[in-house]
Amino acid sequence: MTLLEWRDDFCIGIEEVDHEHRELIELINALHAEFAGDASGGRVEGFLGEILAGVSAHFALEEKVMRARGYGALTDHKADHEHLLDDLRDLMDEHAAGAVLDEAAFAARLAEWFSAHFRTHDAKLHKSLAR
Amino acid sequence: MNALKRALRALFLPVESALETVFGPRLNPITQLGTLGWFLFWIVTASGIYVYVFFDTGVTQAWQSLETLSREQWWLGGIMRSLHRYASDALVVVVLLHALREFAMDRIRGNRWFPWLTGVPLIWFLYVCGITGYWLVWDKLAQYVAVSTTEWLDSIGIFSEPIARNFLDSERLSGRFFTLMAYIHIAVPLLMLLFMWIHIQRHAHARVNPHRALGIGTLAALVALSLVRPALSQAPADLDTSPLRIGFDWFYFTVYPLLDHMSGRTLWAILIGGSVFMTALAWLPPLRKAPPARVDLANCNGCGRCFADCPFGAITMVARSDGTKYEQEAQVVENMCMSCGICVGACPTATPFRSAGELTAGIELPGRSVAALREEVVAAAAKLTGQPRVVVFGCAHDAGSPALADTSTAVISLPCVGMLPPPFLDFLLSRGHTDGVLVSGCAEHDCFERLGDQFTEQRIANERDPNLRDRVSRDRIAVSWNNPARRGSLREALRQFRAHLETREGAPPVKSAGRAAWRAKLRTWPAPVRYAGQFVAYAAMAAFVGYFATQPMFTYLEPDQALLKLSFIHAGQPLVACRHYTSAELAKTSVNRRRATDCARGRWPVTVELDLDGQPLYRGTHEPAGLWDDGPSSVYARFEVPAGRHRLDARLRDNGEHQGFAYTGSEVVDFVPGQNFVVDFSAADGGFVFDRAVRGRNPGRAP
Repeated sequence: MTLLEWRDDFCIGIEEVDHEHRELIELINALHAEFAGDASGGRVEGFLGEILAGVSAHFALEEKVMRARGYGALTDHKADHEHLLDDLRDLMDEHAAGAVLDEAAFAARLAEWFSAHFRTHDAKLHKSLAR
Repeated sequence: MNALKRALRALFLPVESALETVFGPRLNPITQLGTLGWFLFWIVTASGIYVYVFFDTGVTQAWQSLETLSREQWWLGGIMRSLHRYASDALVVVVLLHALREFAMDRIRGNRWFPWLTGVPLIWFLYVCGITGYWLVWDKLAQYVAVSTTEWLDSIGIFSEPIARNFLDSERLSGRFFTLMAYIHIAVPLLMLLFMWIHIQRHAHARVNPHRALGIGTLAALVALSLVRPALSQAPADLDTSPLRIGFDWFYFTVYPLLDHMSGRTLWAILIGGSVFMTALAWLPPLRKAPPARVDLANCNGCGRCFADCPFGAITMVARSDGTKYEQEAQVVENMCMSCGICVGACPTATPFRSAGELTAGIELPGRSVAALREEVVAAAAKLTGQPRVVVFGCAHDAGSPALADTSTAVISLPCVGMLPPPFLDFLLSRGHTDGVLVSGCAEHDCFERLGDQFTEQRIANERDPNLRDRVSRDRIAVSWNNPARRGSLREALRQFRAHLETREGAPPVKSAGRAAWRAKLRTWPAPVRYAGQFVAYAAMAAFVGYFATQPMFTYLEPDQALLKLSFIHAGQPLVACRHYTSAELAKTSVNRRRATDCARGRWPVTVELDLDGQPLYRGTHEPAGLWDDGPSSVYARFEVPAGRHRLDARLRDNGEHQGFAYTGSEVVDFVPGQNFVVDFSAADGGFVFDRAVRGRNPGRAP
């Protein structure tokens, strides 16, 4: 079972960005599967680190694209990126501190971020680029 | 060579430390020599354009127009003219110091050869600009420069007749020479600007303007110098007399006095050989060659952060080559990469939170991988027993960070601290590996890898991607920038940081957004003392420039001496006399090929002898010019003669005989001190001509 399904309306029309969105969704789904299996310590922490790195790199790319195309709402969009990264880091710290996490909720939270971000900021970017 | 560099560094570093204390790192002139050079170039250009508006090219007009400008418009034109001169002089100082310093700091070798190679011609251009500039003024110094430079150029032997003959006497001087000089004096600076642009091509984010306050200070010092000691002409040039003592610009004419002690060719050989050697310094062993950075495509999505941060422009973004959907990938230009690792510090994938087995960043330094760095720092931190624990990230050119290691301090050395990805700070502090991190790098604004200090600070202060997350307490992160001579400052910074960590121990971690890293408060001088120090530094610079721009005087000719020049152009007789074609021969030749005489090519050399008071002064045999030895022979020789009455005897042979002379001439001359007396020869005028200029004008006019 996958946690987050790719939907066509996630597309923002820039192939490399869409491609990386898909990859990130796969990564989150894989994390979810990991929890469903054995959620013990080290592997999950490393996995979260991979997501952090993947998301950071993705945001770096998306910000480059926005800059290159003179996207007006870059500041807001980037602020949301930073916000997502902070949330992710909070989760990682909680996990590292040994907090008992509801694994499903944990993965669901990640999924929720992405769909929310796709719905709002990325959709806005999509509209702006489509014009 | 390394010993020389060490010795130079031992000279530079204390001066740099002192200047940093007085000016602060941002305004430190010694670390801003390149931008100061650009700034001075613009001052020279702007003032030069202004002066050119009022400048007349012409034998008499040139001097007069500048004199009028300096006297009647001293409040602007005079200042502009002075700025033009003094900024040019300061430019020599700045350029030579810049070259010497880059050499001493070893910033010219390996893949950094490019600015060095393009910098050497800039020095030549600078001197050509200065020499032609002084020439245009056409005062006594200009006269000396004209005569010496053309004689020096003639020593190369590439001119068919000596160009110094243009300055033999006032009769021969042509105003067109000024047009030529003005042309060179404008063209070469343009060429110089082109090379200055090329010079910085391999520097990303190259700075060409000094910090504003430093620029204002420099300009103010030069304006003050211009008012205190306006640049003026010396007495107007007069080719019929020679200057005895000349106010001398030692910045531009440093090597000219050597011409009195060695041949022109020797000096050319020294300067050209010296330039070739200087250029070669960039390639002399031992070469520093660390392996260049490598891109790992599996971890690169083409975000361009390494491209944006590489200080040497060694990364280009190219079309994706691995068939994935990304548009671009980073590519390292290997022969431009300095292996500083700043690209690694910029890569968003270089985060130590990643899975242990999979930690490969999108760009990595071979032999210094991010994964190994994480292992190293975690292991080193784990060994710390003292409190509070501090991890120091040092660079290869800081104030000896390895010496800081002890039971509570772990030291990790990086090629440049710019290699440190900000997530490492987050990782080390949030996972409790250490209580604080001290980043120790080169002197501020003088990073060996150009921008490592600035990028590190900007990343920590959340001003540059990849930024340090806001969650990380900035007061657990300290930076300390010191040149290698400031070991004490680095130790003091660590001591204060440790004390700071102790006092904040137990306090909850503070989320601090957009704040800079913590800094030790090092002992410094009170502001009035620092401003006074700056004033002294500017004044010293102005005094140095102002003094050596004219002093000490250069003695061209002792006061009781006159100059005697033997110079003429005369074609020797043909080796074989020309023969007239007979009518019969002409009749046989087709019409279009007929001519009157049949002349074999080749002429006899011209032998000339000159005696002074019966003693041989000159003996010379001059070969004909031209590829076929059929051109005229030319003679140019200069002698210093004691003033007073002397008898000159001149003889010339041009017909290949072994004895006897076709032409002779004698003259008794009363040499006046400083007189410029020319012995010429003109077959058409019947042989030797003793001082055509004096005769042509009023014989009594000689000084």
